[in-house]
Amino acid sequence: MSDALSFLLLPFAASVAFVLVHAYLGVHVLRRKVVFADLALAQLSALGATVAFAVGHLPSSTAGFAYALLFTTIGAALLTLARHLARFVSQEAFVGILYVFATAATVLVVDRAPQGAEHVKKILMGSILTVTPRELASLAALYAIIALLHWLARRPLLAISSETAPAGRSVLAVSIWDFLFFLSFGVVVASSVSIAGVLLVFSFLIVPAVIGSIFSAEVRVVLPIAWGTGIVASAVGLVGAYMLDLPTGAAMVTAFTLLLVLAGIAKALVFAGVRERRANLRVAARALLAVALVLIFASAVWLLVKPTADQPLAALFEGATGMGPEHFLNAGDHDIYESATRDMTRFQGEVDQLNAREKAARFQSEPLSDEEIRRIASYQQSFNEMARGERFVQEVLRGKARARERWLVGLPAAIIALSGLGWLARRQRWRHSRRRSAETGASRNSIAA
Amino acid sequence: MPARILGLLITAAAMAAPLSGAISVAPASATLRVVATTTDLATLAAAVGGELVSVESIVPPATDPEAFEPRPGDTDKVRRAALLVRVGLGYDYWLDALTQNIGDKRLMRGGDAYLDASGGIPLLEIRGQSVTNEGGHSHGVANPHYWLDPENAVIVTAGIAEALVRLAPEQRERIVANRNRFLAELTMRRKRWSDRLAPFAGVKLIAYHNSWPYFARRFRLDVIDFVEPRPGVAPSPAHLARLISEGRRAQVRAILHEPYEPEDASRLVARKLEVPLVLLAVSVDSVPGTKDYFALIEYNVAALAGALSPPGRQVP
Repeated sequence: MSDALSFLLLPFAASVAFVLVHAYLGVHVLRRKVVFADLALAQLSALGATVAFAVGHLPSSTAGFAYALLFTTIGAALLTLARHLARFVSQEAFVGILYVFATAATVLVVDRAPQGAEHVKKILMGSILTVTPRELASLAALYAIIALLHWLARRPLLAISSETAPAGRSVLAVSIWDFLFFLSFGVVVASSVSIAGVLLVFSFLIVPAVIGSIFSAEVRVVLPIAWGTGIVASAVGLVGAYMLDLPTGAAMVTAFTLLLVLAGIAKALVFAGVRERRANLRVAARALLAVALVLIFASAVWLLVKPTADQPLAALFEGATGMGPEHFLNAGDHDIYESATRDMTRFQGEVDQLNAREKAARFQSEPLSDEEIRRIASYQQSFNEMARGERFVQEVLRGKARARERWLVGLPAAIIALSGLGWLARRQRWRHSRRRSAETGASRNSIAA
Repeated sequence: MPARILGLLITAAAMAAPLSGAISVAPASATLRVVATTTDLATLAAAVGGELVSVESIVPPATDPEAFEPRPGDTDKVRRAALLVRVGLGYDYWLDALTQNIGDKRLMRGGDAYLDASGGIPLLEIRGQSVTNEGGHSHGVANPHYWLDPENAVIVTAGIAEALVRLAPEQRERIVANRNRFLAELTMRRKRWSDRLAPFAGVKLIAYHNSWPYFARRFRLDVIDFVEPRPGVAPSPAHLARLISEGRRAQVRAILHEPYEPEDASRLVARKLEVPLVLLAVSVDSVPGTKDYFALIEYNVAALAGALSPPGRQVP
């Protein structure tokens, strides 16, 4: 456990730093309605680093950083321009084009300097898990400076983020503030993307800010909520990745999204008036039921029409109830199915065992000769062939079982699901007409009064 | 007119080819155009063909060969090949789509111009047909990195020589002589390599990818586990923690790493285990100083021996 702790502590500390700065910038980005600006800026900075590499500077060198900064600055200038071009091109389209172009240009540059591929791969996937204490320290220093600047200039920055055409400010002033915002944003994103990767940085930036804005429009309320949920989501993602043996970045992004869904549910069912809450609950329950019934109906019809095809829901049902396809076979077929399953596992085991033996012989006792290796390989290929044969047998029998299952399971399921859907629809119509008659009754009463 | 433009384009592509880093050996009296999917097979073909062939490779060195995407110029390269040499075993699976597109039977499996260099190789790590890929390779029947065992170069060059003799029977003697010259040097160097790594027989290593079984078999090394067991999927924290405790227990001595992969995870494991991170070259030209096949193996042997030597006698 101490190993696990030492493993997750640094990434968690880095996540907290990321959340504090990114969630704040996310609030701005949401108000500016340019959520993909971070991707565009990050990709431009990656392009800068790649160009630097192609010219012969290491990505970690001063020159490499200078190139990245230069390209980020160009990106900030272009994004500043976006506001003034909004009459002709939508800002989102502009940002998207910038992103796609920067990505494509990076690929082209990498193609000329293949060793840079590692760098690009790292930017896409990131590896927050392996953040070093030194990286964390320089991140903290950088973020402290940027946070200070933003705190000093918080009023004009927020005002300009919130309005499309800020009143009482000259075009030049707005442009300068825009540029400063995008430049600081670009520097933050360029530094975080190289550690956490684009997917995770996008989550840090947008998801906590969205969660906050579900509950309030006030920045003073939004920010603490965003920070809190962001930190919780990071912790859940990291621990989840550890416990469930998952890639860290992807697990964290999923945790952020899950938390957003939970926040949405909480908003509808917990932080709502009593009447509203009850109505929301009813709608949610009905929607869930309807979706489940439609799924069951579609899957049952699919089973009826084509029992030998892939049947994901039927397979799920079989797995959950323990009623595998073998239960729908007669005794003879049942035995064949069982033995095919058994033999397949056995043949695969033989292949693995031979691999283990060969591997051990690489460095222990006498090495195996090429002839012996060839013999092992041909045994393995035969075992694979036999396993494939058993799998074929299994598939044929599964098809046979499903063909029988369709009348025993598929037909009743289809009927039940369909009548359930019919009941839901009738109920809905009944409620609707009752409400309407109540409304007309009320209006008649008011006229009469 | 369009034909002339096409001709110009082709010339331009041919002139640009050396820029892309792909190996291209074109002596003046070239007769047979050999196209190999990787730089490794290209240098072996150049060694056997000598002045009889011009050799080109397709996948640029130091890129991930299993993530390679052919470009329009490659279709042309393949179309005009007198002999097409591939790694096989799913390593260069994109080639099938390419030759299918060209539609020339000569270039497809069983054709005169087609050579799968894996023929006759004693294959390692043939996988069970499970859906998951614990073996560290996303496709293919066996581990495809067979050229990293110098002994397999004997088999690969035999296949190339046979194919060349089939295409140019009158040059038989020169081809055989070229190959014999190559084999003589291989035998000499082979002894040196084995001597160099002999003190480290049985040494435990961790590799980034499962690229080294053939190399490990020849030089008697034990690669116990991989940093990224599923290609393209970042390792989970639990996997890295397991790797470190396993590495401590087995007394792993070094982490092997490929040049085109992100280094962070490997570096983390190396730091925790306090062992060196060794950059090994999977392909010719993927690391400076690996110009041809001999240089490739030489580089890998020297890098590994250097990292495993006790600090006092470390070879730079």
